[in-house]
Amino acid sequence: MRAIGLLLLMVTFTLLGCNRASNGAPVVLHVSNWAGASDNPEYTRKIESLYRQFELENPGIKLEIESVPSDQYLQKMILSFVADTAPDVLSLDASSAAVFINNGVLRDLFPIAQKDKGFQASDYWPNVLGIDRRNQSLYAVPGDFTPLVLYYNKKLFDAAHVPYPSGHWTFEQFLETAKKLTIRDSNGNVKQYGFNLTNWMPGWIVWIWNSGGDVLNADGTAAHGVLDSDKTVQAVTFLRDMVLKYRVAPNLSQTEATGVDPFGNGTTAMEISGHWELPGFRTAPRLKQEDVGVTELPTTLPDSKTVMYEVAFAIPKGAKHPLESWKLIKYFAGALYQRAYQETGIAVCARKDVATERAKDPREQTFLSIVPSARGPWGAKVVGYDFVEQEGKKMMERVLSGTDPRQSLRQMADRIDSYFRVR
Amino acid sequence: MKKGKLGYLFIAPATIHLLVFAIFPMVFSVFLSLFRWNLLTSERTFLGLANYTYAFGDPLFWNALWNSTKYALLSVPLGMAAGLLVAILVNQKLRGVTLFRTLYYIPAISSGVAISILWIYIYMPETGLINSVLGLLHINNKTDFLKNESLAMYALVFMSIWVGLGPRMVLFLSGLIGIPQSLYEAAELDGAGKLRSFWNVTLPMLIPTTFFVMITSTIGALQVFTPVYIMTQGGPNEKTDMVGYHIYVEAWSKFLIGIASAKSFVLLAVIVLVSILQFKILKNQLEGYSTT
Repeated sequence: MRAIGLLLLMVTFTLLGCNRASNGAPVVLHVSNWAGASDNPEYTRKIESLYRQFELENPGIKLEIESVPSDQYLQKMILSFVADTAPDVLSLDASSAAVFINNGVLRDLFPIAQKDKGFQASDYWPNVLGIDRRNQSLYAVPGDFTPLVLYYNKKLFDAAHVPYPSGHWTFEQFLETAKKLTIRDSNGNVKQYGFNLTNWMPGWIVWIWNSGGDVLNADGTAAHGVLDSDKTVQAVTFLRDMVLKYRVAPNLSQTEATGVDPFGNGTTAMEISGHWELPGFRTAPRLKQEDVGVTELPTTLPDSKTVMYEVAFAIPKGAKHPLESWKLIKYFAGALYQRAYQETGIAVCARKDVATERAKDPREQTFLSIVPSARGPWGAKVVGYDFVEQEGKKMMERVLSGTDPRQSLRQMADRIDSYFRVR
Repeated sequence: MKKGKLGYLFIAPATIHLLVFAIFPMVFSVFLSLFRWNLLTSERTFLGLANYTYAFGDPLFWNALWNSTKYALLSVPLGMAAGLLVAILVNQKLRGVTLFRTLYYIPAISSGVAISILWIYIYMPETGLINSVLGLLHINNKTDFLKNESLAMYALVFMSIWVGLGPRMVLFLSGLIGIPQSLYEAAELDGAGKLRSFWNVTLPMLIPTTFFVMITSTIGALQVFTPVYIMTQGGPNEKTDMVGYHIYVEAWSKFLIGIASAKSFVLLAVIVLVSILQFKILKNQLEGYSTT
């Protein structure tokens, strides 16, 4: 009798347990990003604690984070859509956002955002939000971003008695400055370069934009007529001359091969990069963070232009829990998360109110003043832009080993256009 | 009958693996090669054999095929010669010879990516191992091996010899050990010296091993991917753009999945043709020289 009683009790408990599990089981959201794959443990810990905070605030939701190394992220995400195992929320990098947006695999968040009083599009910079918009539709909400700026080493400027750049300046003024900052020893070997040119297309496409040229036509469908235009040729020739003629910038293999950042190492006075460099300068061997100046890129136009890279959060079209996923996106794009994220110093937050909290710092103020002149990368608009960047890298290699810029740009345009034709 | 059924059970895991990870993807690639389809959308256009005609008309594909051929023609014979030489060396009855056998094999069990990064450091223009050693000898040319159009291919070939040394050594070593000692004794009685025995006994008896090493090395060389992807990305100026990497770019940078699949089958056809050719040439040699 006692045994039967015990058995009944056990069955009841088991059933109760089952009920709890089936009724109150939390919704599990699979979130993909490349953040956890970072090699900075402090950063990873911070992001982790922010995820746990969300779970505390939303007891019915559990997060399962899938971190993918950034160089494999795009392929892995594409394959997850192909295999129908896409996450509930994914991070979208502006450089490849078009792959997902243009192929129609993301959910249009506009209807859900419009109904939600807790979300205001006006909280964000319109050009940043615009990266993931197509007409009325909104395919992702931005978390953070960075425009590319020109960094300069104040110590090296002081030593060479060169005034700091302030605001608008031309290519010629830049070249003169770089010449003054290039120092040679008695044998003519360069000890310090004025500028660090890297063969990273986002870092040099801005020179093309600032000379009034571009890589693709306005709707991103063809390269000929734009990539081989006089203005683009002019910009590429200018870059070539900096390396080969005036020797104010090291040749590419030299910078790539030494494996150290010559700017952080204090052997180069200027470089173009994004906000993510700033935390790194804290630990740079021969550069103090307070010696780093930020200014806008040189231009031949009335206003300087730059490119910006942004991280946004999106929901796949077929996601099972769109409402919970939207909650998470709102959390990522909300003030609390962004303020905490901003402390990592990696980027500028997409929320204007949070980003401007740092405006007292003159460097941050310069970043903020540059934001309105920044435009999203071509990869946010054009599918397969990765290929254009690969061809760009080859083109620059050819030019810096002596091929005529116009001829090299024309070859690049041929390849891009023939690719666009079979796409 | 029951025994036979049990046999199928034993081969089931390997067969299922082969079906799922090799046969099915191959069949699916045939299907893909007939369409214009980027996989992400449901929209796909049937093109028939147009992707194949595109592949044959693409000069960059021909360039990649030519580079792969060049790579195979250089790395296979040189790699085999090095493998045989090292096998003969470690076949000596010396103390500690097993240590050398192990050392030579280590590259083969290391990750291809790690090896490629290591060799980037070896080939660096300023601080690389080769240029540093040359610098000690007062040769300060600071050659950038991987960015130099006429040297990059040789740099990859040289590295492949080192990477493939271990497996080739082991295969040749087993071939060497399998040669009956009586043949050498007979040769010695007939008055043959060391060199003569090598030409008339060792080399002919190694023909089956050589044949196997040649076929597998050629297939491997035609499929090379990792070092190109990590070290040169096909550059400089497409001089090291080999067909495996070329196909990867078609599929994953340009999302031309159909064209990439069609090109894979062209590569398959090339590999099969080359293997048949090698079979034909060596067939006569093979007969009568088996160690078994």
